[in-house]
Amino acid sequence: MRNNLPLLGFGLGLRAEHYNEILNSKPNVDWFEVLSENYMIPGGLPLNFLDRIRADYPVAMHGVSLSIGSTAPLDQTYLSDLKKLADRVQPAWISDHLCWTGVHGQNIHDLLPLPYTEETAKHVVERVKVIQDYLGRQILLENVSSYASYVNSYMSEWEFISLICEQTDCLLLLDINNIYVSSYNHNFDAKGFIDGIPPHRVQQIHLAGHQNNGDYIIDTHDAPIINSVWDLYGYSVSKLGNVTTMIERDDNIPELEVLVQELQIARNLSANTLKAAA
Amino acid sequence: MSNFNVSQLAKLQADFQAYLLSNEENSSFIKAVIDDDKVGAKKRLNIYHEAYRLRIIEALSTVYPQLKALLGDVLFNRVAREYITAYPSTYRNLRWYGDKMREHLIATLAQHPIAAEMADFEWTLSLAFDAEDVPELGLEDLATIPPENWDALCFKFQPALKIVRTYWNTISVWQSLEVNETPAKPAIENKYQSWLIWRKNFNSQFRLISEMEAIALNMAIMGATFGEICVNLELKMGETQAVTTAARYLSGWLEEGLISKVILIKLVG
Repeated sequence: MRNNLPLLGFGLGLRAEHYNEILNSKPNVDWFEVLSENYMIPGGLPLNFLDRIRADYPVAMHGVSLSIGSTAPLDQTYLSDLKKLADRVQPAWISDHLCWTGVHGQNIHDLLPLPYTEETAKHVVERVKVIQDYLGRQILLENVSSYASYVNSYMSEWEFISLICEQTDCLLLLDINNIYVSSYNHNFDAKGFIDGIPPHRVQQIHLAGHQNNGDYIIDTHDAPIINSVWDLYGYSVSKLGNVTTMIERDDNIPELEVLVQELQIARNLSANTLKAAA
Repeated sequence: MSNFNVSQLAKLQADFQAYLLSNEENSSFIKAVIDDDKVGAKKRLNIYHEAYRLRIIEALSTVYPQLKALLGDVLFNRVAREYITAYPSTYRNLRWYGDKMREHLIATLAQHPIAAEMADFEWTLSLAFDAEDVPELGLEDLATIPPENWDALCFKFQPALKIVRTYWNTISVWQSLEVNETPAKPAIENKYQSWLIWRKNFNSQFRLISEMEAIALNMAIMGATFGEICVNLELKMGETQAVTTAARYLSGWLEEGLISKVILIKLVG
């Protein structure tokens, strides 16, 4: 038992292209992850669809603008809007990224990497505690894809993550594709990353496709999941057990049926891995 | 271990952001990033530099689709990149980025005045799309109010409602672009036109609104009573015709779902 949060099964990211089909065909998807910011709006059609889909499916909220690692003050308006949405949606949980997105009142709208140091971890820890108190729940932090690392970093990403989990009681959203992308970009062992994080903290897994440019990979979420990422997912399940899993697709979005089929690969791989381990 | 502290973290973030916001390719920030033979520090940083711009250009393309069609990809890209430099995002939510496009185009693309008008129109449509949900009154909701009370009625309108003014054939060009047809050449109209924008059945709507109706609607939005609107119309027409006209406007607003609340105020004296 990781904690008292539910196991949701196998889900997809909720995308506007699929709203009607989800309501009409009730696809074989156990739950949906919604991008919080897409619904942090006053009203209208997206929120109406969200309410209707929420009536049929569990939902988790996933944000991109918390900027947990920024040295800028926490944005109270953002947090209050996030809480308001959570009150409406009653999500299974709320997640965001272990990164920073801007300082000095400006926003880069990107998931920028942090230097992996104890001092940075301490800074993040203080902010996670404030946010968890404010939201009244544990949050999930996701490892990001990165393309650069800092000369100041003196610990591994997984040591950095472990430190934050330990000191805040927060949970992890393990993005398997991001581990693969960052391991490719920075030449580290992806399995070592998975071995290095506290397994009981992992509440959810992300899977996605990417774009390989030869010497580096960009995390584009615009293509099917590649075999090496599936292998890494299998390895994760063998280490972590049965974990709530979903596929992120943000661009070049196919028919819902294509993603439901891709999700079936995850179901089968997870079931077979767990069976083999039993 | 280093003595890396929070003020150094703050400096690193400020320097990284300054590098991303700047259009200069060279930055001393490169020294903060690990260099290697595989990709190289400069190329690694450039991935972020370009991703920042591409992500925002995509967001602007989403909110300004027909402006992009009007300008074409090359000019739209140039405009968007200049916009990013002029207006770095201060929004947590990318949804709200792009609100200064009209002003930006007035300043930077003065030779194409229709572009700023189209930006204004598309931004207002997008605001209507996800404006706050409010109740929608119909004609039947007014049926119970006795005629002698009508003079003292005032109205609340849906927050999506806006009036946009055009001096060019902007809306006709927008409509052609919207259905992938070749638009008419941009042309200035004899007189400006006012366009009412609102939301109905979860979709943004728009229609031409006459100057007289626009004045009546603006009065109503500002809190004028039905009686006051009639009196104002009497400056242009006879009393009976003024009441008929005001009633016609009101029933139109109700049919279009513009009115969210009716308030009966007490008349003094």
